[in-house]
Order: sequence, then structure tokens, then C-alpha cells
Amino acid sequence: MAFESRIPESNPFVEIATHLFLEDIATKVGIAGLNNYLVSLAKNLAASMPKEEYASWSEFLSALSTGQSILSTFEEVRPITEHCMSTFRSPFERGWREYAKRVGAFAPVHREVARYYNHKVRPTAVTSMHVVLHTFREAAAARVHVGHDGVRYEPVASAWVDGEVQLPEGPNLESLLKRAGISRTKLGMLMRNHSDVWLIEPA
Amino acid sequence: MIDVALASLIEDMIEKAGADGVVEFWQRVGDNLASRMGKEAYLGWTSFNVAVREARTAFSIEGEVTPLTDMAITDVDGDVVGYLYAMRQCCYVPTIFRTRFAVGRMSPADQAVTDEYNENVHNIAVCNFCVFHERFREEIAKNISVAGNSLACFLLATRGWSGETKISSKNVAQVNINEDHMRALLRNYECVYALVMRGARIKGER
Repeated sequence: MAFESRIPESNPFVEIATHLFLEDIATKVGIAGLNNYLVSLAKNLAASMPKEEYASWSEFLSALSTGQSILSTFEEVRPITEHCMSTFRSPFERGWREYAKRVGAFAPVHREVARYYNHKVRPTAVTSMHVVLHTFREAAAARVHVGHDGVRYEPVASAWVDGEVQLPEGPNLESLLKRAGISRTKLGMLMRNHSDVWLIEPA
Repeated sequence: MIDVALASLIEDMIEKAGADGVVEFWQRVGDNLASRMGKEAYLGWTSFNVAVREARTAFSIEGEVTPLTDMAITDVDGDVVGYLYAMRQCCYVPTIFRTRFAVGRMSPADQAVTDEYNENVHNIAVCNFCVFHERFREEIAKNISVAGNSLACFLLATRGWSGETKISSKNVAQVNINEDHMRALLRNYECVYALVMRGARIKGER
């Protein structure tokens, strides 16, 4: 089943309005407060979606790549190895493009909250939308069972629509790449034309 | 996905500030967005309506807007002072379907905000997004001038994704449009509004 035919595209205006909504929240609760809001809304979204179970890892990978899994509801997922996943386009790309076209430059608060998240949680966010995306994927993965095992998510690298890439450095990255089964060079190749590279493995 | 997550954000806001607080919040967001979109000026209605058709105006951020050029609004001297505009699809309908596919059902928070707005502000909303939307349009209309006159926006009629319709008796009377015309338009469109020159003395205004 084609990914596009399953779930309709959103109207980017709703995404723009939501971005403004978040900007308004930030003026009241600050960067740390906005981070908490983003984490909370992503967790709530995942919690509101049905749990999943698969008999085998290959069945789970098939569901992921055909858009049938909770983890591929909002984005097209392409497995690179058994545990390394990539997404072609950020689900926020259309909203951001429309925001840049109609409203102007992205409000600084979206990058400020990402810096806060990188410092406090893990260094893989470029904008506020990555805070939502990483938290959602992590919470969604926890709702999946393959055989008797749970599933654990970890981001490897994220690229924003403007090409800025955020990824961990040093031993953390090496460990992630080893678990994902890809080399540093392969990661560089993937980040040229993908928005995210991430890891899923049995918990 | 942020559009689907918005419902849970609104649920959370209702817990903290109540449905009336969310209505105020949405309206402020509408003001903020409109203030960031800048001013526009057009020589006359023809150039404005071409700009609407080509998606060049601030109103185009909402999606595809059709100027109903056969439905002009005239003033007491018979001069055209406005037109009706319509959207075939409500901006929020794709999100409602996305929520249906992703989550299963729409959050009751959507209805709570809609009801609050209908009871205490303007009985025209068919979803929570109408609250933001109506204010946003009213504000951007002030920043657009046609033949040197700034505009005013009147939301006239809406149709929700489940088929429920709302017609604003107050605004329909303001621009002297028959409610039957609105009902006919709602068969084909989900959101109908009027843009008129601010301060115009509309013919037959009730």
C-alpha cells in the first residue's frame, strides 16, 4: 500500500497555527517549560494510539516500511539494516516551508528549545519539532512488542529542512553506529538526502 | 504530526486554563499570526480577486480560497464594496481524518472549545480551529486595503466534517445576504466569509 494513500496530508496552516501556539506558550513558561510541553504532548499522542504486537522482527520491519506501524504513521520509514531506520522527509517540512513563505523566519524559540533538549536529554535536535519527533518515536516504540520483547528507540542523527545536521559526537556516536550496523561514511551518505537516521532494537 | 498532537495540547490547556482560557489563547494566537503577516494594498477588487485566485494574499495561507465574484456586496449607491469568498475544504478537516487514522477518535477537547466559543462568543464554530481562524481573518483583513480602503471580514457560514452547518444570522444580516444563498453555498463549500470595505454603508443592511 502506498504511504500517501493511507493518511491524508495536513493543511500546513494548521501546523503554522500550532507553531504560533507553541511560541505563545514559550513567552509564558520559558524554554524549559516549552520543552516540558513538547515532551508531554508527544508522549500523550503516542499513548493515545493503539499498542502493537508482531510475531517476528521481519514482520515488524515490513509493517514499518509499508506505513502500517505506529512508528510510520506520520512519516515514510525505510529500513537500512535490521535495526537502522531512515526517514526521507521530515513530517514538519511542509509546515516549515509554508511558515517561511507566508510568515517569515522561524521564531528563534524553536532552536532555543532544541539546544535546551540537546543539553538536558540527548544531542539530536535542531528545532522544537525534533523534540516532538524523538519523544514521540521513543514513546511509540515502547508500545510495540515483537515476540516477547519490547522495542527501544534511539536517534542517531537529525537534519532540519535547511540542511543543519545534529548528531552526537565521539564514543556515543560510535556505539550508536555499531548497534545500527552502519559506518560513519554510510551515515554521511544517508544524511545527504534523508531527514533522520535512527535505531530500533529489542528492549 | 504536530497537527494531530495539537488536540492533546488543547486537552492539557483546558485542564490548566479552562475552555474559556483556550478560546482566549487561540484568539491571541490569531492576532499574533496576523500581525506577523504584513500589510497589502490593491488597486481595486479585480486585482485583489486575481491575487486571491493566485494564492498571493495573506488569506491564501489557509489553503485554496475561491472568490465568488458573482456574489458582490454593494453599498447604498450601488458601488461594489465587497465579495463573498469560500473554501471547499475546511483547513482542519485533513487533521480530523488524520486523527481518525492515527488515534481513532477526536479528543473531546475539540468539542469543549467549540461549545465554549459558540455559547459565549459567536455561534459559528464547527471545530476548535474556527476560534483561531475567525480572529485571524478579522485581523488580516484590517491589514489589507482595496482602492485605499481597509477591509473587514465577516464569517458567514461553516460546515463541519460530519455535515453539521452553522450560519451566522448576525453577520449575514450585516452584509445583507439571504440565508438561503448561504445554505446553497454550503452544499459546495465548507467555509464562507465576506470581505467588505471598512465603514461602507451596505445596501439593505439590517
